[in-house]
Amino acid sequence: MAASIALKTFTGLRQSSPETTVQSHRPTTLSYRPLRISAGKFSPKVTGRNLRVAVIGGGPAGGAAAETLAKGGIETFLIERKMDNCKPCGGAIPLCMVGEFDLPLDIIDRRVTKMKMISPSNVAVDIGRTLKPHEYIGMVRREILDDYLRTRASDSGAKVINGLFLKMDKPVAKTAPYVIHYTSYDGKSGVAGKRESLEVDAIIGADGANSRVAKQIGAGDYEYAIAFQERIKIPDDKMTYYEDLAEMYVGDDVSPDFYGWVFPKCDHVAVGTGTVTHKGDIKKFQLATRLRAKDKILGGKIIRVEAHPIPEHPRPKRLSDRVALVGDAAGYVTKCSGEGIYFAAKSGRMCAEAIVEGSENGKRMVDEADLRKYLEKWDKAYWPTYKVLDILQKVFYRSNPAREAFVEMCADEYVQKMTFDSYLYKKVAPGNPLEDIKLAVNTIGSLVRANALRREMDKISV
Amino acid sequence: MALLSSPPSHFPTLSPPNSLSKTHFTLKSTFPLSLRGKRHFPLLSTRVSDNGSGVVVVEEDEKKEEAAPVVESEQKVESSEGSVETNGSPAVAAGAPVEVVVGKYENPKWVGGTWDLKQFQKGGTTDWDAVIDAEVKRRKWLEDNPESSNNDFPVVFDTSIVPWWAWVKRFHLPEAELLNGRAAMVGFFMAYFVDSLTGVGLVDQMGNFFCKTLLFVAVAGVLLIRKNEDIDNLKKLIDETTFYDKQWQATWQDENSTNSKKDF
Repeated sequence: MAASIALKTFTGLRQSSPETTVQSHRPTTLSYRPLRISAGKFSPKVTGRNLRVAVIGGGPAGGAAAETLAKGGIETFLIERKMDNCKPCGGAIPLCMVGEFDLPLDIIDRRVTKMKMISPSNVAVDIGRTLKPHEYIGMVRREILDDYLRTRASDSGAKVINGLFLKMDKPVAKTAPYVIHYTSYDGKSGVAGKRESLEVDAIIGADGANSRVAKQIGAGDYEYAIAFQERIKIPDDKMTYYEDLAEMYVGDDVSPDFYGWVFPKCDHVAVGTGTVTHKGDIKKFQLATRLRAKDKILGGKIIRVEAHPIPEHPRPKRLSDRVALVGDAAGYVTKCSGEGIYFAAKSGRMCAEAIVEGSENGKRMVDEADLRKYLEKWDKAYWPTYKVLDILQKVFYRSNPAREAFVEMCADEYVQKMTFDSYLYKKVAPGNPLEDIKLAVNTIGSLVRANALRREMDKISV
Repeated sequence: MALLSSPPSHFPTLSPPNSLSKTHFTLKSTFPLSLRGKRHFPLLSTRVSDNGSGVVVVEEDEKKEEAAPVVESEQKVESSEGSVETNGSPAVAAGAPVEVVVGKYENPKWVGGTWDLKQFQKGGTTDWDAVIDAEVKRRKWLEDNPESSNNDFPVVFDTSIVPWWAWVKRFHLPEAELLNGRAAMVGFFMAYFVDSLTGVGLVDQMGNFFCKTLLFVAVAGVLLIRKNEDIDNLKKLIDETTFYDKQWQATWQDENSTNSKKDF
C-alpha cells in the first residue's frame, strides 16, 4: 500500500524535497547527527512541537528506548507501573552490554567467569578456561539495572511517569495521534491511582512477556516457558564456591526442555528451572533441581520464590501502524540459554533509533515504514544468533542422551571458546574450518555413543 | 523464610491481571506428596545381565548393610532440608514413615568419578563391553534416582575413553547386518519381479535410469525407515527445522495482508 510505495520511491529523493523550510533545517541536523536521515517523502512535518512518543514499560527495553528517543530530540514519555519492581530474572548480562550501554561497573554484583555444566548422570564439566582476564558474564539485580536506565532516560529529557497502561485509542486519521489511557500513581491520589490520558504520535511497547500493548494491537500469542526460581541464602563457606561460578543442570528430572540453574546473586544464590511443555510439573522440576544441588546449598534458607513467563519466539505481529513492540513484549528471548536482557535493551535502542531517523529528530511524523526499518535491521543483525541457538536447543535438549553428549562436548576447548565468544559479543563467531569439522565429527560421535547407551538402558529397564 | 503460602501474594504483582498469564500454581496441596514420591524402591533384583549379576548381588548386600547408617544421615539431611523446603508442614518432611532411603550410586569398579579400567581386565585386555554395560546400569540408576552432584566426588567419566571399534562392534555391526539383510531381500525380489515382468535381466536393469532411481529409493528407505514410527518422526523433523523460521517471518507476512495472523 502507500507505506510500501513510500519505501521503494523515497530513497534517493530526500535531497529533492520541495519544502524549503525543511532545507534550512537539514544542514543543522546533518552536522551533528551521525545517522543518515531519510524520512518518508510523504510524511508531513509536525508543526509547532516535536514528535511525541510513549514508551510503555520501564525495564531494560523501555529505559534504553526512552534514552535514545530523548537524546534524539523527541518528546518522550516513559510509563512504568512499579518503580521498585524486582523482576524475577536470571540477571545475566553479556560483556558487550556493559560497553554498548555504558553501564557503570558498580551495578554489576558479580562477575561470573566459570560455569559448570552437569549432565543427567552428574558428569560435571567446567567451562571458562578460555576466557581472557577482562571477560566475564555480569550478574545484576534487575531493580538496580532498570532504575539506572530509567534515571538515565530521565536525565536525557524523557518524562518518567509512574502509571499502569490500561488501553490505547487507535488514531482516527492517518496522522492523528494515539490516545493512551493509564492509571497514574503520583502519590496524591493514593493507592488506587488516577485515570489519565495522553496523546502521542507513536508508541513503543516494552511492557514485557504479558504485554498489554501487544494485546491491544492484536500481535498474537507466543509459546512461552515458565521460569521458576527460588532465592536461597546459603552459608558463607558454601557461598565462596559460587563466588564467580554459575551452574547449569540438565536432565529429564530437572526439565524436559530447558535446564535448571544455580546463579549467584549479590549475597545469595538463585536456584531455578523452567519448562515449556510441562508447566504443571514445574514444582517437581524445582525439587529435582534442588536435589541435584543439595550438597552445595545445604543449610540454605529460601528467602523468595518467584516465577515469570519467558517467550519462546517472536509474536506473529511485532508492529502495527505506529506501534512497535520491543524486548520480551516482542518475544526476543533466545532459545537454549533463555537470554533476554541484552536483546531487550538493544531492540529498544534500535526501535528508538528508527523513530529518530524516520522523524528527522522529531520534526516529521513517522509511519509504519519507518518502524519496519527497525524490524529489518533487527532481523538482519540477530537472526543468525537466534537460529543457531534454536538448532542447539533442538539437538541438545531433546533427550537425556543428547544432554550427556552436550556436556561431553562442552569439555572441548574449541567449543568453550566459540560459545563464550558468541555469547559475550553477540556475534556468531566464524571460527576455524578445520576445527569446525573436528567439532562436527566429535559431536556426532558423542551423540551416537550416548544414544547407543540409551538403547541399552531401555533394554534392561523393567 | 518464605513459606509457600506467600507465592500467591507475589504473583498478582508479578503479572498484571491479564488473560495471557497462565501461572496457576495449584500444586501446593500436592507438594508433600511429591516429596514422598521422589523416593522409590531400588529395583536392583531386576537389573540382571550376564556379566553383571555378581555385581548386582554385591550392591544389594551393600545397600542392606548401609541401610541403617544411611537412614540416619538421610534424616539429618531431612531436618536441615526442612529449613530449605519450608512448606508449612515440616512434620511431613522429617517424620514421613514412608521414607525409603536410597543410597548413592556405589560400585566397587566406580572409582574416583570414573570407571577403573584395571578392574575390567579380561584375558589381559580391557573388556569394553563390560565397561559399556556398567555405564548403562549407572545411567539407568541415576535416571531413576537422581543424585546430588558433589564437588568432593566429581564425576569425570567421558564415553570417548571406550575406543571407536568397541562401539562399532557392539552397536553398528548388528544393525548394519540387519539393514543389509533387508536391503538384500528387497533387492532380490524386486529384481526378480521386474525381470519376470519385462524380461530385462539384472545387469541390463542397472543400466536403466528408472531402475537406478528405484534402487536409490529402496536403499534410502531401508536406512531411514527402520520402524513404522519413523515415517511420522521424519515428517515431524522436517516441520521442526523450518518452524522457527516461520515464526520469525510471521511479522513480514502482515505487510501484505490486512488481517493479522493469530495462528501461532
